[in-house]
Amino acid sequence: MVIRTEALTKDFTTGFAARRPSRALDALTIDVRPGEIFGLLGPNGAGKTTTLKLLLQLLFPTSGTAEILGRPAGDVDARRRLGYLPEHPYFYEYLTAEELLDYFGRLFGIEPAARRRRASALLDDVGIGAERRLPLRKLSKGLLQRVGLAQAMLNEPELLILDEPMSGLDPIGRRDVRNLIARLHGEGRTILFSSHILTDAEALCSRVAILAKGRLAAAGPLRELLSEQVRGWEILVRGLDDAGRAALSARGLPAALLPGGLSQILLPASSRPEPVIADLAASGASLVSASPQVETLEDVFLRRIAAAGETAPGDLA
Amino acid sequence: MTSRRAAIGVLVLLAAGSAALQAERDRRYAQTTAGTRMLYLQSPAVAGRLALGYDALAADIYWIRAVVHYGGDRLDRTGTRRYELLAPLLDLTTSLDPQFRIAYRFGAIFLGEPPPGGPGRVDLAERLLLKGMAASPERWQYPHDLGFLYYWRLQDHQAAASWFQRASALPGAPEWLAPLAASMLARGGDRQASRQLLTRIFEDADEDWLRQIARRWLLQLDALDRIDQLEAMLARYRAQAGPPASWVDLIRAGWMPGVPVDPAGHPYVLSALWGEVSLSPESPLHPLPEERVR
Amino acid sequence: MRLGTVHQVAVHVFKESVRDRVLYSAVLFAGLLMAASFLIGQLSAGQDLKIIKDLGLAAISLFGVFIAIFIGIGLVSKEVDKRSIYALLAKPVTRQELIAGKFAGLALTLAVNIAIMSAVFFVVLTYHHWTAVDAVRRGWEAPAVDPRLLVAVFLIYLQLLIVTALALFFSTFTSPLLAAAFTLGVWVAGHFSADLKAFDEIVEAPAASALGRILYYVLPDFSAFDVKSAVVHGQHVAAGLVGLNVLYAAAVIGVLLIAAALIFSRRDFK
Repeated sequence: MVIRTEALTKDFTTGFAARRPSRALDALTIDVRPGEIFGLLGPNGAGKTTTLKLLLQLLFPTSGTAEILGRPAGDVDARRRLGYLPEHPYFYEYLTAEELLDYFGRLFGIEPAARRRRASALLDDVGIGAERRLPLRKLSKGLLQRVGLAQAMLNEPELLILDEPMSGLDPIGRRDVRNLIARLHGEGRTILFSSHILTDAEALCSRVAILAKGRLAAAGPLRELLSEQVRGWEILVRGLDDAGRAALSARGLPAALLPGGLSQILLPASSRPEPVIADLAASGASLVSASPQVETLEDVFLRRIAAAGETAPGDLA
Repeated sequence: MTSRRAAIGVLVLLAAGSAALQAERDRRYAQTTAGTRMLYLQSPAVAGRLALGYDALAADIYWIRAVVHYGGDRLDRTGTRRYELLAPLLDLTTSLDPQFRIAYRFGAIFLGEPPPGGPGRVDLAERLLLKGMAASPERWQYPHDLGFLYYWRLQDHQAAASWFQRASALPGAPEWLAPLAASMLARGGDRQASRQLLTRIFEDADEDWLRQIARRWLLQLDALDRIDQLEAMLARYRAQAGPPASWVDLIRAGWMPGVPVDPAGHPYVLSALWGEVSLSPESPLHPLPEERVR
Repeated sequence: MRLGTVHQVAVHVFKESVRDRVLYSAVLFAGLLMAASFLIGQLSAGQDLKIIKDLGLAAISLFGVFIAIFIGIGLVSKEVDKRSIYALLAKPVTRQELIAGKFAGLALTLAVNIAIMSAVFFVVLTYHHWTAVDAVRRGWEAPAVDPRLLVAVFLIYLQLLIVTALALFFSTFTSPLLAAAFTLGVWVAGHFSADLKAFDEIVEAPAASALGRILYYVLPDFSAFDVKSAVVHGQHVAAGLVGLNVLYAAAVIGVLLIAAALIFSRRDFK
């Protein structure tokens, strides 16, 4: 187990003389296996960043335990083998990207020659060119994000913890990061990242955990969460005449008219599409597409979030 | 957790250590640090500007330093008691806060006090009081103190009387000032007038240190009276039996029950050669006021 | 605590500080002030050497405090505020090593700055010595280029180290602005703390004088480090006094740094 948490809980006392602590994370128990890409998902404020910070001992738990790479969270030796990208990274104003990587490299105890080599290669990897010699305060948010990724990979970590790695990037940047994560995964590294962008998670993760209001709403392999079963079919045809439409209605299959002259027919999972298609063809309509309706991650997400909303652990009585 | 506790332990040790080091450093080097650091600002004008509006507070601080400096030098048996910083410190205090009545008074009394009780600088005392009068012309205390200065330190009874007269005309002045001025003019500087003046000061004083020093002066007057008595007695004895070698002769002859002591308990010194009685130099009342200088 | 790591953090702090424009302005101002003191000295009818020395030492002291507070706050407070500390704490550095490294780095920065300011100071003094007439020189209480001035500078440096430790301590648990205010407050109070000790000689209430005495030992006593007057007047400063001040400074800094490390190591970074 690369990461393991056991009933990890974090309360924050708000205000100066607060008597009501607010629970940011409630008894979270998850684990991350070696070599997998694990997604920590949830809306803003769900507790994703809190969880990651607890793993790195940037926060201290109210109760519960967390283990990284077989050591308790915050252990110095474990930190040698991991890389971290914080949300909205900010670094030192007067250093350049090169100097930052050099500084962090020294903290890892990497030899000078190796440091230079790796820094240069990493900056190339994340797409930073001549900007690497500018003071960090002059870099845009997107460039800082890339520098953040570079510094997370500096020590060739077994485990990468990335907090919203796609934020601040344009679509090209996001694609680059996705490719990077996939490549790192291919090298055998374990990756834990948090995101509220579900399409990225769907594309990359083998397992996910969904957080809502500090509680675990769902967790497990992505495949299991998304029902394998086909929920239904969507058939798109062009040129459906009134007769054909009427015939479909008689079967209890209303055809919706879409812009551009397309008609959409939705079939329940119980029906096979083939007979319907044959009928439609016979009536002179041309088939545009026939696709199975599978539940998306977004559907799962919204459903589980809504369920979690019934009982909110946000305030303690 | 134990390394945390160890750290707290070290912290407490170091804190105690720093307090101990501070105490040790002060014990050994208080003189050097005290003298040099107290008077970093020489000019009252600069001090006023630097005080950034907290003039009164700064005046208080300098006042405290003046008193401590005076007390420190007074108690100091080892060094030469020169009270060098007293005038400048009081000058700073009164410049920062011209209404600081006590500082003027203190300076008037102690700046004029002859060594070893003070620097013996009557001129500085006078200057300070004139400064006070310029700042607060309506206060009777300043001309009164000037009168006292002229009377007690300089034996200038005319000037003293005129200052007392001036003081008596100011609002709030006590009723005994005018008659005192008149009698001083008439009789000059006799002991009765002195006693009257000092008794008034003693009774009217609302500061501890003023009461104490007034009392000391009154005791000095008592000593002077006693010395007169003793010398008269000596003269009679000499006429009868020749100059006595010491008090013992007089005691054996039954002229006195025991060795005469001054109000502070120290025996008077009999100068066999001259037949004179004087105060023991060890006595806290020493030296006696000017009128007895030979 | 690994010295290598502490060293790395210290070097980084030094690099960052050296590039901070605030530092340059401070040193520049100090230099200008010393040059100005030379002109002011000309107006003072015979007291010019004393004024040059007084102003020079005062400039080193004041600007040193300014640098110590300004950059000292940035060491932790600003870093936490801006969140650059997250990436740093994910590296194999303990929080205690961080505090130690930050302090060492700033001590180094201060040392370099003080050295530069002192060098300028001595240049001004040397010039003054050359341009003075022999008769005037004989009247000086102490030579213009007086190595004893270095003793005053050294004690100023010790004071600045204490101020740095204070700034570091306060910035482990308050915002940058509050930390600066507290540090400045303690620095001012520490200059008057000697008067607190004298309380019981003036004040009659034993409770007040006991409080004064306690405060005296709790607040760092800065006035005892101030030998400026003595040195300017050519008086001897006992080696023992310097030695005790070094030990005292070490103890006070130790207390502050350990306290800072203890607070910092249990702090949540929200």
